Amino acid sequence: MTIDHASAVFDVVAELLTELVGDVEVLGLEITPGTTFHEDLQLESIDLVTFASILAEHFGADVNLAEYLAEKDLDDVIGLTVGDIARFVGERTCPR
Amino acid sequence: MTVNGLRTNVQLVPAGGTETVVFLHGMGTDSLASFYLTLAPPVAAAGIDVISYDLRGHGKTERPVEGYTLGDFVADLDDLLKQLGVDRPVHLVGNSFGGTLAYSYAVANPSRVRSIVCIESEPATEVWAGKMSEILAHTVRFLQVEESFDWIEANFSAHHRRLARMAAERITSTKMAEEVPLGPLLTWEQVAAIGCPVLSILGSHGYQADDLEALTSMLPRGELHVFEGQGHSVLVEQHREVRELVLRWIERHAA
Repeated sequence: MTIDHASAVFDVVAELLTELVGDVEVLGLEITPGTTFHEDLQLESIDLVTFASILAEHFGADVNLAEYLAEKDLDDVIGLTVGDIARFVGERTCPR
Repeated sequence: MTVNGLRTNVQLVPAGGTETVVFLHGMGTDSLASFYLTLAPPVAAAGIDVISYDLRGHGKTERPVEGYTLGDFVADLDDLLKQLGVDRPVHLVGNSFGGTLAYSYAVANPSRVRSIVCIESEPATEVWAGKMSEILAHTVRFLQVEESFDWIEANFSAHHRRLARMAAERITSTKMAEEVPLGPLLTWEQVAAIGCPVLSILGSHGYQADDLEALTSMLPRGELHVFEGQGHSVLVEQHREVRELVLRWIERHAA
């Protein structure tokens, strides 16, 4: 995965997140790679399911967030960051 | 989609298979996410159709003030399967209260259930009702005290504090705590007459720790798997092992 690809994917993931959390500027949020899904964005696990659908719709069925998370431990899911999600999406969409 | 009159969050993972699994989550802080993010992907990858939904009052499903008897939950599942056109018997995989729902559904609709996997669950007998009334009443009292949330965060985590807030909101804004233990309750004869295969997965320190084998021994086709040293949160803390148990179970009990 190139730096350009990773950076572009992060921007798209951050943009797609606004479908869940609303306008981040209005909410006074800054989405960085270290932003946590649960604690910082105050989202719930059920929102991860919704976000998995949003990602699959945008990037295609190969980007299966549920499958990725099924291999994680609970603490990893609780501490999941936007950067973790962007890295996963980047790897799945990496041009070969 | 609208199920039994309520807007219901349903997630389908069609795999084009010959078997269907319905995941039934637990009560309070739970939602379809606990299965969707653990067991649903590997089960679908094994070629099994997956149906997950948020029970009434949970997740992204509508939350009416009342209507939380087991009869309501059973009617929801029945209507969901009818609307989805699922006409073959299904495997019900339930966590905690979801397993209790699975037993009640199987008693009401025996021909529609191929098998049951219950994780830390027991059927809705009078014993269950007494236990649930006590747990729910204690939970309501505990969550009405602001210091309880500080205690939860200090002893667990900020994440658990948020979950507790969510549970408090759900429980205190509805009649869930009063209505769930009402049943309709099952007699032990009805439970013993459940003819489909049942796998009961328990933690040795979970909610059935007082008598791990009693229920399974009375079910004609019951089997038991106990995780030693494990409490009630079997699904989230042992999800890899539970996944293997569920996959092997469905393979064994496929049509």
